[in-house]
Amino acid sequence: MSESQTKQTTNPARRGGIIKRVVGVIGTDNLSLIFALVIVVFLVTTVSGWFGLSGGDKFFSWQNLMNSLAQAIVIVGLVAIGETVVIIAGALDISVGSIASIGSVVAASVLVGVGIIGSLGILPVGNVVIAILAGILAGTIAGAINGFIVTVLRVNPIIATLGTLAAFAGFAFLLAPDGKPVGVMTQPAFTWLAQGRFLENIAIPSLGGAKWTGIPVLTVILVVVAIAAHILMSYTDFGRSIYAIGGNATAARLAGINLSKVRVLMYMLSGGIAGLAGVLLAARTTSGNPINGNGIELQAITAVFLGGAATSGGKGTIAGTFLAVILVGILNNGMNLLGFNTFIQRVALGFLLIAAVAISQWRQARAENARTRIANAG
Amino acid sequence: MTDVASSHPPTPPPVKPGTLEIRGISKAFPNVQALSDVSLDIRPGEILAFVGENGAGKSTLLKIINGDYKPDAGTLSMDGRPLTFPSPYVAHQSGIRVIYQEPEIIPGVDVAENIWVGELPKRFGLLDRRQLNQQVERSLKEYGFEGALPMHLLGDELSSAQRQLVEIMRALKSGVRVLALDEPTSSLTDEEVDRLFALVRRLRGEGVAIIYVSHRIKEILRLCDRVAILRDGNLIAVKPASELNDAEIVRLMVGRELSSVFQRRPAGTGHEVLRVEGLQSNWHDDVNFHINAGEVIGFAGLVGAGRTELAKVIFGALPKTGGQVILSGQVVTIHRPDEAIARGIGFAPEDRKREGLVPVRSVLENASMAILRQLTRFHFVRKGLERMVATRFVERLRVRTPSLEQEVGKLSGGNQQKVVLARWLAAKPKVLILDEPTRGIDVGAKVEIYHLIDELANEGLGIMLISSELPEILGLSDRIYVMQNGRITGELSGAEATEEAILGLAFTDHLSAAPVGSTASQQKGSTI
Repeated sequence: MSESQTKQTTNPARRGGIIKRVVGVIGTDNLSLIFALVIVVFLVTTVSGWFGLSGGDKFFSWQNLMNSLAQAIVIVGLVAIGETVVIIAGALDISVGSIASIGSVVAASVLVGVGIIGSLGILPVGNVVIAILAGILAGTIAGAINGFIVTVLRVNPIIATLGTLAAFAGFAFLLAPDGKPVGVMTQPAFTWLAQGRFLENIAIPSLGGAKWTGIPVLTVILVVVAIAAHILMSYTDFGRSIYAIGGNATAARLAGINLSKVRVLMYMLSGGIAGLAGVLLAARTTSGNPINGNGIELQAITAVFLGGAATSGGKGTIAGTFLAVILVGILNNGMNLLGFNTFIQRVALGFLLIAAVAISQWRQARAENARTRIANAG
Repeated sequence: MTDVASSHPPTPPPVKPGTLEIRGISKAFPNVQALSDVSLDIRPGEILAFVGENGAGKSTLLKIINGDYKPDAGTLSMDGRPLTFPSPYVAHQSGIRVIYQEPEIIPGVDVAENIWVGELPKRFGLLDRRQLNQQVERSLKEYGFEGALPMHLLGDELSSAQRQLVEIMRALKSGVRVLALDEPTSSLTDEEVDRLFALVRRLRGEGVAIIYVSHRIKEILRLCDRVAILRDGNLIAVKPASELNDAEIVRLMVGRELSSVFQRRPAGTGHEVLRVEGLQSNWHDDVNFHINAGEVIGFAGLVGAGRTELAKVIFGALPKTGGQVILSGQVVTIHRPDEAIARGIGFAPEDRKREGLVPVRSVLENASMAILRQLTRFHFVRKGLERMVATRFVERLRVRTPSLEQEVGKLSGGNQQKVVLARWLAAKPKVLILDEPTRGIDVGAKVEIYHLIDELANEGLGIMLISSELPEILGLSDRIYVMQNGRITGELSGAEATEEAILGLAFTDHLSAAPVGSTASQQKGSTI
């Protein structure tokens, strides 16, 4: 190989320098997300003041960071993590919002002993652990159905999960008694999931008059799931197979990867995590409501693409999605603090999705150009 | 005018109008000097052949003529006006048309529209069907192709020959002055070849300058007026065809005796590793063959003869409908590629980019892909072990990459192919199927791959070598099977095999009834 090509293709992050190494760990793509985070925080806390908007000063309080922000991102964050796996594999799961609704209804109805599943009498009433597991299992089964439709019936993933988005949404109502929400207000052990705090009573010197309020249980769950997903994607054969399938499914199959098996497992994973998100939604809203999960899929997919996953598959990281979830969270939280109404927030979210994909496409086109240039030279 | 190219011609003699003057063209790619200082005249009313081994620089020169590549040095000019690079548009405007082996045809659109694409006749802003059909019918009749190229066929229903005709008709309608044909006969029947030759001669008579690129020396001697011989990017000689014969062209092309190019030195064969009996599939009818340990078995045939599909059926990537696959004496059932791999079969597909590699992932991940499961403990990849295995084979194959983390898609073609081979060496198969292992890679990497094939066979691997390059098949194979229309039409021992013998078996009764048409199998083959 000529000297010039060696130079051209050496990854700068691999050479010397502590800063460069740190950048290498975060990933150069994710670095831009951190910049975006800083800019959004600056906009919310400082720039907003210049335009006479008030409320930005509340951003840096423990109350806001730990109660509002850290909790608000959990549900979308969880669903986005499952969605990241699916998108890296070059597919899509649009049904996650409806799966969350199912998880929410199932957990609540098992806990209270109502609805189709609750009144079967197979599962013990009032057992929080069983209720949580039932919600997750319901989501996993829904995911397996997606996997079956995509692999055995060979339906395009977008169409398949668009179909199940509608079907599962209806199914969530069927599972609820008379289609009505199941209240779980009287189950403190269950609502603790959403309202509980770890390290609540530890004395931490107050910062700028803000008061330490502990770490929400919800946030801990998100972080644990994110780390587990990161390990799954980076260190296991399953994760490798996902990246390989997303990068080139035909080549992956010819290299001995069992496409159907990996795809079914992937949809089960995405469904299971969405089911868990639904359980937590039931705990937070104190009701297993069949509309609990509505619209989550859009926010989750937005976060995944914003986090640097490629629309064509094969690229993306859990860390990127995690950062993007925080970014979207700060944006929403900031707009709340500054008094923008939710309609404006929805407009912003829609355009953010388009912007995220546009940036991702631009990146891909650039990488593709570089590859063709070199491949032609061979 | 001098016939032998010299880098500094004395005072340039006057040239005929319409001559394409190539002067001092050089072009380097990261791994190879593709062309060095090539000067040549393409004259109107003459058929000039480009010959040379793969990688000699023929394709690069065509791409420069077509405006696809910008040369590092040198100029092209026509009628005394220099052509600018890189711009296919400028080349087209000047009447230069290069017909590549695989012309770009719009699949869902009929022949007439494919020919007139870009300049469709309009009436009230809508396509004027009647005028279009009249125009196309007229020109097809004029050139005698009305039978060979039915106008109503859609792009994806066309055979290779018909696709070429569409591309040629495109060129003709826009007033071609320099027409280059890249391996035009590689997938044509004898009859189609004759018709093509008649057309080429007619165009010569009309004053078109024709460049004819081919591996088939006999055809060249039959058709061409002059022959330009390229080797390793240099123009070795330009001579009138009447002064040349087969042996002389080969000697000039290779620059050495043909036998020394490939160095297959069989070390003796062992037990039978693969036997296929009465294999049936959508593409095949009663295929029987066997491969012993330590043998390189060549599979020759035309494109669409079913060789790639045969490899995929054995590998479990395409369905088998009957017959038996026997590995080391044991009948096996294989439904999926992972089952084939577990049984000791490796398969390096023909199309690296589409089927061989995951371009956006690293050299490391691509190299370990087939044995990933063996490298895990409780599903966790043992990264140290993985790196060790990958390093061993990446080094053995001398893959030139800055690191194991490099994206495979950013390597050159030859190095990409070596990564695919590294993957299969790591899997330690008993049978290795190589489908066009040297397609599109540079000469240096090619020779390395030839040596590797030789070495692997001598280590006891059974190798099924599918190649469309006859010299490659002849140079490397211990035995050769020739396929045609999904059947094996003959078996030749290394000693009795010649190009003529192979082509005879590949072409006989090509037009007679067969289980599947060649176009159909080609298309099915592309969707695995």
